[in-house]
Amino acid sequence: MAIGVKVMKRPSDEVSYIRATLKGMALTFKHMFQARVTMEYPEAKSTDDWRIATRWRGTHRMMTDEQGRSKCVACGLCPQVCPANCIKLVPGEDEKGHRYPLIYEIDEFRCVFCGYCQEVCPEEAIHVGVHYENAEYSRDRFVYDLERLQAQTHPVSTLWDPADPRGQ
Amino acid sequence: MSDELVSVTIDGLPLQVPEGTMIIEAAKQAGVLVPHYCYHPSLPSPAVCRMCLVEVEKAPKLMPSCVTAVAEGQVVHINSPAAKSARQGVLEFLLINHPLDCPICDQAGECELQDFVFQEGRSGSRYDDYPKRYAPVEDFGTDVLYVPNRCILCTRCVRFMEDVAQDGVLEVYQRGDRSYIGMEPAHKLEHPWSGNVVDLCPVGSLISKDFLHRARAWDLDKTASVCPGCTQGCNMTVDTRDSTVVRLRPRPNLDVNRHFMCDAGRADYRWMNRGDRVEAPLHQDGGKLHACDWDTALDEMAALIRASDGSVVLLASGRAPCEALGWTMRLAGNNVRAAAIKVPIGPEAPIGAIPNLALRAERAPNLDGARMLGVSTDWLAAINAVKGAELVIVLDAELDDADIAALSGATHLIHFATAVEPRLAHADFVVPIATMAEEQGVFVNRDNRAQRFLPAKSAPGMARSAWWVASQVWRRGGEGRRAPGTASEAFGSLAPFDGLTYRDLGLGGRVVATSPAGAAR
Repeated sequence: MAIGVKVMKRPSDEVSYIRATLKGMALTFKHMFQARVTMEYPEAKSTDDWRIATRWRGTHRMMTDEQGRSKCVACGLCPQVCPANCIKLVPGEDEKGHRYPLIYEIDEFRCVFCGYCQEVCPEEAIHVGVHYENAEYSRDRFVYDLERLQAQTHPVSTLWDPADPRGQ
Repeated sequence: MSDELVSVTIDGLPLQVPEGTMIIEAAKQAGVLVPHYCYHPSLPSPAVCRMCLVEVEKAPKLMPSCVTAVAEGQVVHINSPAAKSARQGVLEFLLINHPLDCPICDQAGECELQDFVFQEGRSGSRYDDYPKRYAPVEDFGTDVLYVPNRCILCTRCVRFMEDVAQDGVLEVYQRGDRSYIGMEPAHKLEHPWSGNVVDLCPVGSLISKDFLHRARAWDLDKTASVCPGCTQGCNMTVDTRDSTVVRLRPRPNLDVNRHFMCDAGRADYRWMNRGDRVEAPLHQDGGKLHACDWDTALDEMAALIRASDGSVVLLASGRAPCEALGWTMRLAGNNVRAAAIKVPIGPEAPIGAIPNLALRAERAPNLDGARMLGVSTDWLAAINAVKGAELVIVLDAELDDADIAALSGATHLIHFATAVEPRLAHADFVVPIATMAEEQGVFVNRDNRAQRFLPAKSAPGMARSAWWVASQVWRRGGEGRRAPGTASEAFGSLAPFDGLTYRDLGLGGRVVATSPAGAAR
């Protein structure tokens, strides 16, 4: 038995690719005049209506005094409060009798970025930073020593403010 | 103080206490701590700090509870609004000049000012306009630093030196808010018990140079122990941080050392942190000492002892606890030709006002325990007996050159050692044992008081307690012998302590009778 083939006859204006192309291009070109919702990340890091929250908690920064020494007095509260146990601190005394950290190291791999260290610090020395670009070529570079913590320049976190819970 | 009991009510709790008890002590029995600074149970009370003021019904004013004796029918309110506001006022006055340097203060975490201000102090000061008094840090000599800024003038240190040490070098100078604790320029804080002022100081004004910045109070693990310094046997607390001993402090025991401990005892902890420890049993193999496992070492030692059934000499350290001495003696059995502990001798240093408390001349904590266990103190006789003895057991003794020379002639030598001793490389066995900071044990002090000490840190490598090693070797020496499983059992199975357990001793110790054995029970 011969196979019967039914040929559908559609109106040419319905099946024309020209029409579909124009429709698609219209949508594309329409976006050129709309507000931009993305950012070209490595070149642009913030836009007018979006930037990283000031209460962001990223890699640490140690604040220094006018003489460039760290403000830390090695009181031992941050290693005590740290839930991840990532802060190593050995206190010492300088020739003037000031207490200061001989060793201050933060293992950023272990850190859970809770910000308790900043919250507990009585000298406002250690801070979590508004910073997220931490790539390194080796793992051991993720243990930040005192020199490295002092050399950081990024802004520091405001933490969560109960008076301004939504960070506005 | 008589035996008459009086009834008082403290914060609503009816209580019967002996007549003449001060309210502050009665309150302790009621489970209430009256905040205080100048009062200390081992010092006379001057009632200068005004911190312990309590409300006593029918009394016209608040009473200082440290010098007010209880009376029949007295009703005391410690936490009434009047008493609380008085304490809050005292705290506010103290904080006028006290610096808020808790982050760098060694006392933070165990500071009574910090505790009480946190507990019931005002949230702010009304004296912010005035600059705080400032004076530089002073070196008081020996181990004590004085930080005048932090001083709250409780005068505990002055009274300790004056009334307890009876060497009144500390005085309060000037008056009013210019007062400070000082010394005549010719004087120094040199009394052998002067380190106690550091513990007595309720704040961080008198601090230890040795402990300065070493650890924060909350980093420390505290273990009850007994000082191994002399035959006095002061109770102490071993403070460790990360398994390193950083400080020794007195532990109150009214029958032995009250609240005090001498400077020599405090400073004597560095040997507990030694790094050159023996960590595995060593036996002779091909003319040299080689490490082996415990089973090999124990079996070979048992074989050596069985084969040599001759005369045995035991040379022990004065720090060896009863368990170690008793079980090595039992291991030697009836063949003991001589057994002695080495007793270093030093100058005696009494504290002054407290009878029967001194740094004793015999610097061996277990002298009387050794005597009870049949170990003599005649070291020379024991050394002379080495020649001709078949087996010498050295129990961690501190050996000088003459001792080493004598030991070179020993036929067989088993060295129970904590630290490596290259001069005894000819020993048949070197057995790694724990120090007193790493094991449980008992010292018997000069008043026949058996006192326990607890392990403060872990022993290095394969090191075990000496009693465990000795009892395991002993068990291999004959049929039907059972080695003790615990230190308490090892202690109780020794003849002079017949059946006593650690639980019987408690942490305050217990006087054991010298003879007959078992009478202490």
